[in-house]
Amino acid sequence: MRNDSEQRKNIRRTALIMGGIAIAFYLGFILMGVLNA
Amino acid sequence: MTAAVADVHDDHGPAKGFKRWLFTTNHKDIGTLYLVFSLTMFFVGGAMALVIRSELMTPGLQFVHPEFFNQMTTMHALVMVFGAVMPAFVGLANWMIPMMIGAPDMALPRMNNWSFWILPVAFGMLISTLFLPGGAPASGWTMYPPLVLQTGDAFPFLIFSVHLMGLSSIMGAINIIVTILNMRAPDMWLLKMPMFVWTWLITAYLLIAVMPVLAGAVTMLLTDQFFGTSFFLAAGGGDPVMFQHIFWFFGHPEVYIMILPAFGVVSEIIPTFSRKPLFGHDSMVYAASSIAFLSFIVWAHHMFTVGMPLSGQLFFMFATMLIAVPTGVKIFNWVATMWRGAMTFETPMLFSLAFVFLFTIGGFSGLMLAVAPADIQYHDTYFVVAHFHYVLVPGSIFAIMAAAYYWLPKWTGYMYNEAAGKLHFWLSTIFVNLTFFPMHFLGLAGMPRRIPDYSTQFTDFNTMASVGAMGFGLSQLVFIYVLLTSKKGARATDRVWEAPRGLEWTVPSPAPYHTFDTPPKVRVAQESFE
Repeated sequence: MRNDSEQRKNIRRTALIMGGIAIAFYLGFILMGVLNA
Repeated sequence: MTAAVADVHDDHGPAKGFKRWLFTTNHKDIGTLYLVFSLTMFFVGGAMALVIRSELMTPGLQFVHPEFFNQMTTMHALVMVFGAVMPAFVGLANWMIPMMIGAPDMALPRMNNWSFWILPVAFGMLISTLFLPGGAPASGWTMYPPLVLQTGDAFPFLIFSVHLMGLSSIMGAINIIVTILNMRAPDMWLLKMPMFVWTWLITAYLLIAVMPVLAGAVTMLLTDQFFGTSFFLAAGGGDPVMFQHIFWFFGHPEVYIMILPAFGVVSEIIPTFSRKPLFGHDSMVYAASSIAFLSFIVWAHHMFTVGMPLSGQLFFMFATMLIAVPTGVKIFNWVATMWRGAMTFETPMLFSLAFVFLFTIGGFSGLMLAVAPADIQYHDTYFVVAHFHYVLVPGSIFAIMAAAYYWLPKWTGYMYNEAAGKLHFWLSTIFVNLTFFPMHFLGLAGMPRRIPDYSTQFTDFNTMASVGAMGFGLSQLVFIYVLLTSKKGARATDRVWEAPRGLEWTVPSPAPYHTFDTPPKVRVAQESFE
């Protein structure tokens, strides 16, 4: 149950989504600075 | 139950020597590393606070140059926020979350190792600026331009270290979210999770949303300084006020990043020592979520004096006041948990009770600051210093102390010295109030923040605060004594306390190096607590 491929896939997917959100916020706020300047 | 989770991995236990700590992927080892690092930074930041309070003991300049005083205020804040409080909660999360949800470890153990080891590099770099020509950053932890751009050689060190701290926090937050969402024991539904786990889940979402915003802001500072951009330079068409908006869009949720896990800790401890389940568990979850949501829409209350339309002032004022509602839900739920409980007052409970009472004082002064016209008077005075120290010291730091005493027997396998713990509590509580309560009066009388000298009318309260700070600093040596003698007490039982609830109390004390290799049966564990 613990280490099956389904769980690994879910872990990878959740991590990628969270990392993606972090990168989007980083670039998004810099873009806001660019558009404002 | 205990036998089922006992250490069945003796064949690959901890490595020996420094390699154990450098290469470890074990959540308990990494939790210990975070906690030791945080305690070290607590003393480094505390020493800086004592430099500040020594200078302010009497009017006039006596010990340090004003430039160095500014460096101390800046570094004290950065070290305490990013080096002491946040890593302490991450350390507690590393130690406790896998055990509380019945997981064998964090979901991404190698990233966990990286998250920690980035931190000493970041703080080594930041603290090394004290020895650079021009000294450490001195523009305040808020790093407002254009002032911060006048920082000397320390500027790129500051920017890089803030980036690294952010990276560490984001990786830690990803790990916590992934672990909680994917590695809970089969019967551990979301609303069954302990409050510490819930508050950390919400905190981790906040971290992922706002640490990149801080990173974006300091990246723009970097390009303004070295690559000819004008994001925040008025002379080049930029807007310095935009930095303040971006900074506080990070900064206000950051406040809740430092207090939500504290709410979680207190929500674990008060039921244990009241011998009752937490009153209104689900409403606590919704209250914490509401606080997190509201934290995103109140940032401009930090900048009322910058100037903004009346509608903006009203919006940010009322949105800020709204936070008192879910916070009140939490306070009343803790009180209701204690109501008619068979309470005892061991050290973790004492720190938790002081948290509830003193954090509420900080909350009320926050409400006063939320009133836009009043804030224009309070802004940049010691009233603000009193407010945020009340929520951070007898708030966050008392909760960290409570958590340390509460879980220490589970970590070491021995009961700590209760008399020394209580002495630590009483000295800390007396001196923390002696330090920060007079600052309310100083602020109301108009004493500005971040100055090394002041008018003689402020002398008495400043002397009280300085004596209090030194007493508070010395009191923490009692905590070191408790830690150093933590393996000299009686052996701790698996349950440690009379009435704790949660999977972490089903494993032996000290917790084995590997726990829950087989998923625990949550229902069986819960029935054993009834």
